[in-house]
Amino acid sequence: MAECLLLDKSNVKEFLDSFDTILTDCDGVLWESAAEYPIPGVPETIEQLKKLGKKVFYVSNNSTKTRAEYVVKCKKMQYEATEEEIVGCAYTTAQYIKHTLGYEGKVYIIGSSGIAGEFDAEGIQHFGVGKDEWNGRGLRDLLDIQIDPQVKCVVVGFDLHFNYVKLFTAHQYLSDPGCAFIATNTDSALGGGIFPATGPIVSAVECSTGRKATVCGKPQEPLGDILVQQHGIDPKRTVMIGDRLDTDMALAHNCGMKGLLVLTGFAQLEDVRYLAASNSTAHQKQIPHYYLPNLADLGKLITKIGLV
Amino acid sequence: MARCLLLEKSNVKEFLDSFDTILTDCDGVLWEGAADYPIPGVPETIQQLKKMGKRVFYVSNNSTKTRAEYVVKCQKLQYDTTEEEVVGSAYATAQYVKHTLGYKGKVYIIGSSGIAGEFDAAGIPHFGVGEDGWNGRGLRDLLDIKIDPEVKCVVVGFDLHFNYVKLFTAQQYLSDPECLFIATNTDSALPAGGGGILPGTGAIVSAVEFSTGRQATVCGKPHNPLGDILVQQHGINPKRTIMIGDRLDTDMALAHNCGMRGLLVLTGFTKLEDARRLTASNSIAHQKQIPHYYLPSLVDLGKLITECGLV
Repeated sequence: MAECLLLDKSNVKEFLDSFDTILTDCDGVLWESAAEYPIPGVPETIEQLKKLGKKVFYVSNNSTKTRAEYVVKCKKMQYEATEEEIVGCAYTTAQYIKHTLGYEGKVYIIGSSGIAGEFDAEGIQHFGVGKDEWNGRGLRDLLDIQIDPQVKCVVVGFDLHFNYVKLFTAHQYLSDPGCAFIATNTDSALGGGIFPATGPIVSAVECSTGRKATVCGKPQEPLGDILVQQHGIDPKRTVMIGDRLDTDMALAHNCGMKGLLVLTGFAQLEDVRYLAASNSTAHQKQIPHYYLPNLADLGKLITKIGLV
Repeated sequence: MARCLLLEKSNVKEFLDSFDTILTDCDGVLWEGAADYPIPGVPETIQQLKKMGKRVFYVSNNSTKTRAEYVVKCQKLQYDTTEEEVVGSAYATAQYVKHTLGYKGKVYIIGSSGIAGEFDAAGIPHFGVGEDGWNGRGLRDLLDIKIDPEVKCVVVGFDLHFNYVKLFTAQQYLSDPECLFIATNTDSALPAGGGGILPGTGAIVSAVEFSTGRQATVCGKPHNPLGDILVQQHGINPKRTIMIGDRLDTDMALAHNCGMRGLLVLTGFTKLEDARRLTASNSIAHQKQIPHYYLPSLVDLGKLITECGLV
């Protein structure tokens, strides 16, 4: 069982020897939500880990950017990332549909240009992104919307243009139980909690259809599966670093990895204590294996014991 | 415990003597889905019940029409109704906000002209109905939307113009725990013309609940506000009231929640085996949906009344 151990001089070497791969969340770990600069000392820590031979992947549930756009963002923030090192939920979803489901048809997407870009990169045909073009006035006009019976997959991600017409359209496709229902993630808020995220949109579609989406992003397994299949990682020798218990730490548990919680973002230490006292399996699955106040502290420990 | 008894000659007189008031659902009871004609024989049955001195209220979770508009619809379908007899979820919500909560400020509404009309009729100032007027391009432009700190009540109902901007706006208001969060109903689907199904208010409420982490107080079936309003405003006695409907989770549950008895008819959404399955369940939620009585169609009650020579 995970015990949320503080990393310090006495255990950091054993910790560092126990993994080859790091997955790191971004908001709240590498930079503060919506900040224009990194958390001081963290870019240097990532460099130290790479010097130690660790592979680094940048993981995010933000589906509004393609991997190429995320690389630009990381570089602005002083993180030398390449596209292959970025694992966003739009990318994961496209990979899941193409390689895990082996779906070859057209996809109806409620989502942003970030998702469209990843689907284009995989050669998956899609429609629905952007403003809907419906010109109707009343409910009955919705029934004029053409539903293509060849479409057997609906993907729901973050969409600033989400509206009732798109909800209706998704509902029509998903009324066929043979149509796959996929979501990029189910986070309730983004931008540090100000804006509704994908979760409320997925919730609306699940409520009206009575169906549950297969979720590709954190904390669900598809993300881990894709890292194993496409990048050859060994989950037993992988650490997930994050600031959220319900997505980052739960991902670690779901994928057989270890979780390192940092306190520079969403979670506080008392949140962990609350989970440890709980009998619920869902709560147990969110307990970190390790924690640090700040990822920069790992860099300081590495320096202190003279490893890099 | 409710036992889903079939009404027949042997028990219909006792049944009829046991109530003074009927609440009747409309879709699936008085007419099918979005049909243009009533279920044959049912208008006559309602007339027979009125002749016997029963009071009749028409109850609907459809918040897109005002009571005045619902009267027009009922009359087209051969039901002679007055506004006072219509209890729609938009009306129940306006009454609840005004009289039960005693809220006196402005209300942000995600909803249709039906809700706006009922709030106007109750003299409650409101905004938000119709197309949003936002001209922004990206997320950050949403932060320009003016949030009025005097607004301490958000109402969510069916809205064809529901979109992300409205979801964001509701979330902003509801981030204040003092701001009331009310929903007209939570039906997941709305019947459309030609047998089509549309996403219902429930899907919209679900999005707002998920983003705010809060639960709405729901005014329509099957929740108590509707029954409370009928008691307070119309003086009904729940113990002598029957709710007639075609859905177990809204109509029959309303009967249980409000201390009334439920009569299920099979001309709409529910099949008899759905009701029977509930009697075998241990769940309290399921027990609360079991009808006290059932009939294949409400017209069968009219036939029984005639057979027993009562009217």
